[in-house]
Amino acid sequence: MSITYLEAIREAQAHALRDDPRVFIYGQDVGAFGGAFKATKNLAKEYPGRVIDSPISEDAMVGLAVGAAIEGMRPIIEMQFADFSTVGFNQIVNQAATLFWRTQVPCPITVRLPFGGTSGSGPFHSQSLETIYAHYPGLVVLTPATVEDAYSMLLEAVAIDDPVIFCEHKFLYYHLKAEKLPSEALPVGKARIAREGRDMTIVAYSAMVHEALAAAAELVPEGWEIEVVDLRSVKPLDTDTVMASVARTGRLLCVGEAWPWGGVTAEVIARVTSEGFGLLDVPPQRLNAKDTPVPYHPNLWTAHRPTAHAVAGAARKLLRL
Amino acid sequence: MLQTVLDADPVGDATSFRDTHLTAYRFMLLARMLDDKCAGLYRAGKIHGGVFIGRGQEALSVAIGLSLKKGDVFAPLIRDTAGRLAFGEPVLDAMRTYLGSVLGPMRGRDGNVHRGRPKEGYLPMVSHLGAMISVVNGVLFARRMKGVTGTVGAACIGDGGTATGSFHEALNQAAIEKLPLVLIVANNHYAYSTPNDREFACRDLMDKAAGYGVEAHAVDGTDLSACLKVVGDAVARARAGRGPQMVVATLLRLCGHGEHDDASYIDPKLKTSPAGRDCLKVAEEHLLRQKWADAAALAALRGEIVREIEEAVAQVQREPTPDPFTEDWRAISTGHLNEGHE
Amino acid sequence: MPSIPIIMPQLGESIAEANIINFLVQPGETVEADQDLIEVETNKANMNVTSPCRGRIEKFTAQLNESYAVGAVLGHIEVTKEEAVRLGFDVPAPAKTGDTDRISAPDVNGGRNRVQPTVRGLPVPANAAGASYLSPRLKARMNELGLHAADLAGVAGSGAAGRVTVEDFERFIAHLEKQKITPASSMRVTVADAMRRSWTRPLAHVGLPVCIDPLFAYRKVTRPKPGPALCCLRALAVALAENSAPAGRLVGNKIVHPSSIDIAFAVEAEDGVLVPVIRRADKQSLKDLIGPYNELVELARQRKLPPEVTGGSIATVTNFGTFGLTWATPIPLPEQSLVLGIGAARRVPSWDAGKDRFVPVMEANLTLSFDHRVIDGGAAGRLLMRIADLITHPEQL
Repeated sequence: MSITYLEAIREAQAHALRDDPRVFIYGQDVGAFGGAFKATKNLAKEYPGRVIDSPISEDAMVGLAVGAAIEGMRPIIEMQFADFSTVGFNQIVNQAATLFWRTQVPCPITVRLPFGGTSGSGPFHSQSLETIYAHYPGLVVLTPATVEDAYSMLLEAVAIDDPVIFCEHKFLYYHLKAEKLPSEALPVGKARIAREGRDMTIVAYSAMVHEALAAAAELVPEGWEIEVVDLRSVKPLDTDTVMASVARTGRLLCVGEAWPWGGVTAEVIARVTSEGFGLLDVPPQRLNAKDTPVPYHPNLWTAHRPTAHAVAGAARKLLRL
Repeated sequence: MLQTVLDADPVGDATSFRDTHLTAYRFMLLARMLDDKCAGLYRAGKIHGGVFIGRGQEALSVAIGLSLKKGDVFAPLIRDTAGRLAFGEPVLDAMRTYLGSVLGPMRGRDGNVHRGRPKEGYLPMVSHLGAMISVVNGVLFARRMKGVTGTVGAACIGDGGTATGSFHEALNQAAIEKLPLVLIVANNHYAYSTPNDREFACRDLMDKAAGYGVEAHAVDGTDLSACLKVVGDAVARARAGRGPQMVVATLLRLCGHGEHDDASYIDPKLKTSPAGRDCLKVAEEHLLRQKWADAAALAALRGEIVREIEEAVAQVQREPTPDPFTEDWRAISTGHLNEGHE
Repeated sequence: MPSIPIIMPQLGESIAEANIINFLVQPGETVEADQDLIEVETNKANMNVTSPCRGRIEKFTAQLNESYAVGAVLGHIEVTKEEAVRLGFDVPAPAKTGDTDRISAPDVNGGRNRVQPTVRGLPVPANAAGASYLSPRLKARMNELGLHAADLAGVAGSGAAGRVTVEDFERFIAHLEKQKITPASSMRVTVADAMRRSWTRPLAHVGLPVCIDPLFAYRKVTRPKPGPALCCLRALAVALAENSAPAGRLVGNKIVHPSSIDIAFAVEAEDGVLVPVIRRADKQSLKDLIGPYNELVELARQRKLPPEVTGGSIATVTNFGTFGLTWATPIPLPEQSLVLGIGAARRVPSWDAGKDRFVPVMEANLTLSFDHRVIDGGAAGRLLMRIADLITHPEQL
């Protein structure tokens, strides 16, 4: 029996609906159709009246979620693609993210973003927006990289009393499989050492964790043992785990699929440089997507984002310094 | 207060009609004087940031405030002092928010008209026009899911706000879901300095309703009686399950967009038209004509209100403002997920 | 038969190039796989370039005594087609006879390049590149252990451009711990630090043999007897009183002259050297200085020097002759520009022009070590000459 990343998300939603009557799911095509990616397949039937189709109105979808949260519900909003969440950006960052700060009333909504690139998706079906949401105070931003985390972190997201931006990587939906769902997990806010090593730390999140692991494997025959840190959540960011890893290895490479300006990779490096300057034996480096919209053609797309090979190349440069 | 001045007549529609008018008038006058007080404090440099008053909109606003019941949900906007008071907001809440007292509902974290008590059904606005409507939808939607019936949600918006995407999405959503939403559109002819013909091209805002599949009702926003009747009807219809109701009131803004604005762009012809009447004056004249109050009673009322406001201001001015060193600088409620990073 | 290139291999981490010092085989010779072909010299050691496989040396294009970078082509070797393919070189199709198109030799740059050039890598501050660059982590670690860059002298650096990585450093420390370790006294550490700081300046040395028979004669008739170091000290004081510039300090573009001719002298004490000071040595005659000098020597030996007699001196005198040394190049203290030394006296033949023959004289070397930024050889020489003049006329001291 094996379960995909996407199925884990569906299972988590099913369990949330089952265990908490305050939970409902609202999004485009989530009802009878089961969602564009089938993340809510059969849930409308199993839980009548709790998996509701919305019009194409991301602003009103999130606004409705905030109102429902004020009323004590725990809505899950499914954005069809992360790229479309920007239409509801105002409600996420100015309504949901400020409610607690302004009124002391928590806002327990979960906004699910199918994000990240897949071949042929093009500029408007591939974006990684974790950075812009992490930038706003008042939001929790999660980026699970494994099937197990997709399940347990979505459950935790629904349970958290604050607005959670849950970034699910589309590439991992069907490609990543696990034996079974976990019964326990690291809590949100803790990073995971995906691979132990002694020569360099690669910090990554979501799909890039798998690229980093493949890069680490590529470097083994060259005599290098690379440690890979899976951030799991981008905000809060587990600076302690990253710092402890760099204390062991002395070298830091951050990899992200988002664009280079600012971003998770910049944030990690800023923190390590200012709080752990004396841990670094070489300048810290980062690898991001190119500073252009995400291209459509696979030839361009495969060069636009970091791959295992590119990560290994960047790692080699640092290892030789 | 008013009851001591007038005969208490406990029975009959006429009495309740009179009482409603008197109550409404009281709130309107309180709102007007409170707004004037804030404007005065602003000019004296005692208020940080902006002051936005509802001079000319009191009749419409008090109508929705009074038509709603306890347990309904209300999302007022920037010129709804009268509605807020009628819905139950204490004067102290308003004064504390304007003067930045840490004891106010927003504790200095937001100011002026951005105030409310969400758990009491009184939603604090965000500045983006139209954004509150879908939040009201959400409250109503959740109540329906929980099996709570018989409540209504009201949101206020102006002529300019109807141009936003949020307005469109929210009204559309309310109509699809057939929510008991009452949308109070105050068409005061100007969105800041922009006249109607730059905000919409349809003949009348009433015409939009058909496009959404909702019922709409026009009203003379300067006439308290008319407002009470039309708004009351709309609320009743929503409560009865007839889906979203849109009320479009015609009136004029009798002040600047904010107290920093002299409104010199307003067409003088509008000022002298019926839409330019001062609803407070109209209501007062009505009370006097109906002999529901006399000049002495009104003067006494005015005196009472002055005292109430002065006391509130004096009290609030003695209260502490937020202390950045004891402030809890956390943006999310889950303690351990706050980063506390600078 | 195809030819494949003989390429300068990666001879060690951080080696960028090597010098050709010997060809071990000649063109035309058949060689086996891994046979030594060319002897080269790197900045670390002499090594050999070996043959990639069995074949016949076609020619060497590298020149003797020239330097070539890692990855450079040094010559060609003829090999079988199978070997060429095995090694990853594309073998071109055989040319048609009469074809005017020349088939060029396999493009070594297009073919798989099996040698990686030394990576210049990501930027490191220009003034901190290479062997002297210490990463923040290395600095933190050295701080922790109380070490300086000077302590790393001789540590092999495996990082880019020979820098010492933190791994090299930890290996060095671990290796040290396997060797015999004795504690260094705090005196030793202090002197080490002073010498390290002093050495940051360009120091130079001049020397002059001086006949010290007049000094011996003077001592015979003087009670108590002044030692050679004290005589030098007094001579230096007199000379500096006449011209204090040589004892100045260069600070930026200014020479700061000494305000008082306070001169120190070296006394060996246990694990190091103490330098008590004679204040205003120009104002007191040699006879008057003997008593105070002897007292200071005694106190120094007992390590009981009070603070007012240490520090604040403008030059130092050292008698290295007491160790039997005839010549030495002492290092001035970090805050001084001069140290005057005198070596052991020996009987040597000296040409006496008047007698037209060699006569035996007692001679000792006077040395002056100085900060070459403050004075040049000429001024140093004149100072030394003046001191020598005073030494040979001790009654003037």
